[in-house]
Amino acid sequence: MESLRDIRQEIKAIKSTKQMMLTMKMISSARIKKAQQQMEEGRPFAKKMAVMIDNLRKDIQNPSSEIHALPAYRFFDNSSADKNSVALLLITADKGLCGAFNAVALRAALKWVRDNNDKEKYVFVVGKKGRDFMRRLKIPRLHIVGELIGIFPRASYAHAAMIKDNFAELSQKYNISTVDLIYNDFKSMASQTLVSKRFLPFDFDEIPGEEDVSDFIFEPNMMEIFLTLIPRYLSSSIYRYLLESQAAELAARMNAMEAASKNAGEIADNLSVKLNKVRQATITNEITEIVSGANALNN
Amino acid sequence: MAGKKLKLQIITPERQVLDKEVDFVALPAYNGEMGVLPGHVQYVAKLNYGVLRYKDDGKEETFAVMGGLAEIENDKISVFAEDAALAGEIDEAAAKQKLAQAKASLSKHDADIDIELAEMEIKKALLMLKVKKQQPKF
Repeated sequence: MESLRDIRQEIKAIKSTKQMMLTMKMISSARIKKAQQQMEEGRPFAKKMAVMIDNLRKDIQNPSSEIHALPAYRFFDNSSADKNSVALLLITADKGLCGAFNAVALRAALKWVRDNNDKEKYVFVVGKKGRDFMRRLKIPRLHIVGELIGIFPRASYAHAAMIKDNFAELSQKYNISTVDLIYNDFKSMASQTLVSKRFLPFDFDEIPGEEDVSDFIFEPNMMEIFLTLIPRYLSSSIYRYLLESQAAELAARMNAMEAASKNAGEIADNLSVKLNKVRQATITNEITEIVSGANALNN
Repeated sequence: MAGKKLKLQIITPERQVLDKEVDFVALPAYNGEMGVLPGHVQYVAKLNYGVLRYKDDGKEETFAVMGGLAEIENDKISVFAEDAALAGEIDEAAAKQKLAQAKASLSKHDADIDIELAEMEIKKALLMLKVKKQQPKF
């Protein structure tokens, strides 16, 4: 039988763990409000960039357009790119203790790696968990071309712009045909869903085509506008994905920590029941000894 | 003309900086400053790093705008800039410090400094200071 002291120590340890989990939950819930607000504030810009690109759709798809000669046109049409050269943007967290958050993303990343087994794979990872995982994978033709660690929970537009620059450079250098994306989407406080989708080339059907295309005058010309628009559109999209992942991570951690502290509470309760039983057993034992000792003296 | 107003919105990737009804806007357009009054034709302009001014009830305000695009449609002007700051909110000391820092890092000729980034910082800081100086004193 365990001694009383051991059980008391165990209870103390569990309770302090529980306190820690509660604190982590509190931190996450305090940060999540800010993360949500950040997402809200970034929305108008991203949306407008998408709408403006959609307004240029006709010009972009027009086969005689000069846009087709631009390097940026590869984001719309990858027919000239190397089909054996693909890229992935993987967004994970820096820290664990957030339930299945990292695990699902890494599983999806592994699937992506296997699906593209015979191709040259270029991966850009955000978050320490993703980077460590990718580094451990010993798979031929898998290249980690960039990593961004420690940006959460302070992801900014500058980070997104950095990732965009990286991809723009890579896609030219390695003639990349597609860029895929894996991240956790923030649905609500209670649910995060994994998103694994194609990021580039650009899919016009994904853009919410708003009002009818109106005739604008462009200054200085359509090409310049297009060239200004593209990087901003890409950066603001990536920015959105970073923020989604950031909020989802915090929500996941909040839920995980809440469940964990609940479990810790249950364990502590069970242990204190056990403690009482053991203590009672010891007392009963002692009384029996005293009584039998007294009886022996009386006889 | 008093009845008609322009709706001016300045939006950066991280937040909406301004949403206001104004009388007149001057944009730092690609080919030079461009004034916009109500009833302007539909227009999309590329913006330079520069100064955006607007007039509202005779009062003039200045903004520093870091490039981007402006869209004019039905008396609504939407400015999409990488960054924007109201002249009154610019911290002169901080801008000067940034300028000095960026210049120092450029002059060091280090292999690992990003020249483009430093140049952009310089451009940004100079613009901030310029806007600050132009700001009308009330």
